[in-house]
Amino acid sequence: MSLLLHRIDDRLIHGQVVVGWGQPLGLRFIVLVDDDVAASDWEQELYRMGVPPDVEVYFHAVSDMASAIDHYDRDVRPGLLLVGSVDTMRRLVDVAPSIRSVNIGGVHHADGRVQRMRYVFLTADEERALRALEARGLAITAQDVPSTRPVSLADVLAGKPDA
Amino acid sequence: MAPTPSLPTGMKAAPLPVATRASMLLRCLAIQGSWNYEILNGNGIGFCVEPALRHLPGGVGGDAYREALARQCAYFNAHPYLASLAVGALARAELERTPPDRIVRFRTALCGPLGSLGDRLVWAAWLPACSLVALLLFGLGLGPVGVAVGFLVLYNTGHLALRAWGLGSGWLHGLRLASALGAAWLQRGPQYIARGAALVAGIALPFAANRAIGGGASIEPVPLAVMALTPCLAFLLVRLHGKVEGWQLLFGLLAILVFYSTVLH
Amino acid sequence: MLPFTLDLLPLVLLGAVLGLDVVSFPQAMISRPIVAATLAGAFAGSPAAGLVVGVALECLALETLPFGASRYPEWGSASVVGGLIGTRGADGALLPDPGAWVIGVMAAIATAWVGGWSMVQHRKLIARWARPRLEELAAGSMRTVVSLQVYGLTADLLRGGGLTLLGLTVAWPISTWAIASWRLGALETRGVLILGAAAVAASAVWKVLHGYSVTRRLFVAGLAVGTMLVGFRG
Repeated sequence: MSLLLHRIDDRLIHGQVVVGWGQPLGLRFIVLVDDDVAASDWEQELYRMGVPPDVEVYFHAVSDMASAIDHYDRDVRPGLLLVGSVDTMRRLVDVAPSIRSVNIGGVHHADGRVQRMRYVFLTADEERALRALEARGLAITAQDVPSTRPVSLADVLAGKPDA
Repeated sequence: MAPTPSLPTGMKAAPLPVATRASMLLRCLAIQGSWNYEILNGNGIGFCVEPALRHLPGGVGGDAYREALARQCAYFNAHPYLASLAVGALARAELERTPPDRIVRFRTALCGPLGSLGDRLVWAAWLPACSLVALLLFGLGLGPVGVAVGFLVLYNTGHLALRAWGLGSGWLHGLRLASALGAAWLQRGPQYIARGAALVAGIALPFAANRAIGGGASIEPVPLAVMALTPCLAFLLVRLHGKVEGWQLLFGLLAILVFYSTVLH
Repeated sequence: MLPFTLDLLPLVLLGAVLGLDVVSFPQAMISRPIVAATLAGAFAGSPAAGLVVGVALECLALETLPFGASRYPEWGSASVVGGLIGTRGADGALLPDPGAWVIGVMAAIATAWVGGWSMVQHRKLIARWARPRLEELAAGSMRTVVSLQVYGLTADLLRGGGLTLLGLTVAWPISTWAIASWRLGALETRGVLILGAAAVAASAVWKVLHGYSVTRRLFVAGLAVGTMLVGFRG
């Protein structure tokens, strides 16, 4: 089973992840990769409260993942990998090249970001990083919940109306 | 804006007056009134916390008030009912003069867990459970008033209790909110409600379908056909999950029925 | 012809209020189809038939998980449209006219789909209105906070009313034609409609509640008990 989805979502663990994706995929574990959260016990405690009791959450800094990704890829349970930003995903792919697809689930408004879809706002640097990941052969699509259609990176950057 | 003058920090907030708490609770009912794709529910949180901020030194319009209100209106998202937990906790943190960077970090970290817990507890458990109870009431023969009022009373007992508990609990625990979120009923509640809802669903659907068809004997050809074909169609819909929604399939089915009944028949 | 008289105004207002309830205020679920269609049926003088229309729509709404940021069908205003169209010709009867019921459900589905789109537009509109005021928000202006909230609520109320009016305007002549031309028997028509609605509800229960152990077994057990009891009763 291993990791079924590699998702960028600045809200990290929330309803779309736990219920929207978690229920149809039958998720049993979530790997949350974030340098700040990995260093903060109280934030980890809060995020653990957001998942059902039968779903495990593992916290890692990006640097840990070079060795840990194989372990999760071999896990027999269905799992999901979650990062909070495009930059974290870019750094993660550098250390974990086994990641071949990326789901953009939510990158929200902030200074310097331009709206591309209703739930995707990107800076020029983030756009470049996503294009670079795609050029390395990764399949990059935006899809907030399973009931909507995945939108290709080209369409996201073209700002085509989303489903 | 000028930074807040050297006000004492880490103080214990005095209990909020009843009128302030009532105002916050009432505002929580409209917390999603300005939901948008840029700051999501940020303005809504600010709107709900605002009555408490009036008790900051300097009152309405004072520097402390304006700084706190600005902080609370930044990007935020959570389940609307459980957001009242955030409202209570953030109000307390502001009135206790917690350092701003700590409030901001706490506020950011709350979004996901409150969204996830609320979605599991309300949208994926309590709401379908109440909806299925209403279908059962209909199937058992209750009239329009009985079914509609039964549903509304049942649902809103949970709904309003959750909002009121959230506001009170958030205020009580402040930044130590994780202990409130760890309550067994909140963690295990979705599971137990879902089990009850599944059982009710099983009983309710045959009764409701039978009454909606006309309440005749179930051994007649049409009710029998419905009974036999429903699981097959449901199985197909489960298999098509993520590709076709049920309402889309039904719309197509009904369009064929309209064509058949009005043009071909 | 659609009765463009004062009779329409309360229905549009009902659609507006129920559209508001879906997300903005107070989310008390008076917008659920089983309530909304019943209310619309009551307006038309057929609350019992409205309830039956609402039951079919409630089965569809079970499938909808209204996550804040995602797009989903808006069943509140849609159920007012469905409830009114679906109870045409019922004249206080317990069950809807078969043709009207089918068109009512279709009208509600179409309106709910447009409603989902209109919610996205509403949220974009609020963002557009908020953008030039972000500096005032960052300066802690209470006036801006409250006005943004009031603006969003008002716009949502208008959205719900407009959606209801649009749905009724489009569906009314179609339902007039369908009721007059309907040939299939009432029992067969109701059978197809209930087959579809019940299947959607069953699949929704299977999908939404399956995340927890034993829920599927409880559902199947309940189904067996329910089917037997209905069989014995019949």
